[in-house]
Amino acid sequence: MRKVKMSVLISCTLVMLSFVLMSFVHEKKPWDIPAKYQSMKNPQAADDAEMIKVGKMNYSRHCKSCHGNMGKGDGPKARSIDADLGDFTSAEFQAQKDGVIYYQSFIGRDEMPNFEKKIPDDEDRWAIVTYIRTLKK
Amino acid sequence: MKKLIYLIVLVLFSGHFALAQEEEQAEKKVDKPVRSPWESGTLVNHQTSVTQYKNTLEMVISHRFGPVENGISDVFGIMAPGANIRIGFNYSILDNLVVGYGTNSQKKYQDFQAKYTPFQQTRENTIPVSLTLYGNAAIDGRADEDFGVNYEFSDRMSYFSEIIVGRKVNDWLSVQASANFTHYNAVDSLLDNDKIGLGFGGRIKFSPQSSLTLELGVPLKIEGISQHTSFTNHPKPHFSIGYEVSTSTHAFQIFITNGMGILPQELYMHNLSEFDSESIRFGFNITRLWNF
Repeated sequence: MRKVKMSVLISCTLVMLSFVLMSFVHEKKPWDIPAKYQSMKNPQAADDAEMIKVGKMNYSRHCKSCHGNMGKGDGPKARSIDADLGDFTSAEFQAQKDGVIYYQSFIGRDEMPNFEKKIPDDEDRWAIVTYIRTLKK
Repeated sequence: MKKLIYLIVLVLFSGHFALAQEEEQAEKKVDKPVRSPWESGTLVNHQTSVTQYKNTLEMVISHRFGPVENGISDVFGIMAPGANIRIGFNYSILDNLVVGYGTNSQKKYQDFQAKYTPFQQTRENTIPVSLTLYGNAAIDGRADEDFGVNYEFSDRMSYFSEIIVGRKVNDWLSVQASANFTHYNAVDSLLDNDKIGLGFGGRIKFSPQSSLTLELGVPLKIEGISQHTSFTNHPKPHFSIGYEVSTSTHAFQIFITNGMGILPQELYMHNLSEFDSESIRFGFNITRLWNF
């Protein structure tokens, strides 16, 4: 009987502890991407050197300070951000559709700011998506 | 008969498709302005062709330290008294039209300015250069006594206007040249009220965010517009060399210059410092952008 009581106590403690630990882990909030963006395709070729260059320039200017040099979410401002910055080199990120990356990058949500006014030219926006595609491991 | 109708429909539609394709091609052929010919609206002391997008508010903080002449005793002028500071706000009414106001510690200048870029250099070279017009009016805000006897409010006014032609030569080099006109309503008795000057500027970009900037402003000795038989205390050219880094909402420019003034009319009319190892000084400009 005592053994049973003990094991119940231990399991309860473990469950409690796991809840406490889980609260420290950021839950990935799924993105709600409108259908219009889901179906968008990057008009630029993946190996368009000119657009990759433009994308890199704009990435350095607008994205690097949070998302880091290589897109790993380790830029100097990343530490003060609660949101999940993602890892652009990961297969999981790269598996997303072009339009999804476009929406996440330029429409944004919460701590990810909207960049539509800062990057008004659609060609420049797609150039960033083209460049982000090159960060794939 | 049926065949004929099919044929007519086919011809009509094919024409329509061809037209649609042409339209698409024509749309693609729109020659857009070159990407970021300069990082910000100012290079060091001069304006560039850059105007921020419509409904953008720009705050510009400019600072000129003292001259380096005292060496380490005042940390090469950084701790010298009498630094020159200006805080300005510019608002883009249109993509190519900006108006602004600034307040300056030197002579308590309060300035109002406008910048208009009627056309920009385009990517396909349809327009090979950008053209920018800039003008300001400044009010010297010091006490009435500083203006001597027979003081009138108009004595406080000075004006500067400039026409700037610039070109982004390639991804790492941008250049510009400008002609400008300065007018002070009131100057010391031996000086001229008007001055014509030439400005030159360049940017050498060595990484996606960082550039080396160079700038030269030359006040011209033109006897035709001089009110005196000889030039007294003719202003010296001002030269600046700097480092610039820009991000999404900021531009940081740190430089060495021989001009203390921040307002261009002050530099073109009153700068008496040479670009030498004693008179040069450190300075910086910081901009912050907000989009509405």
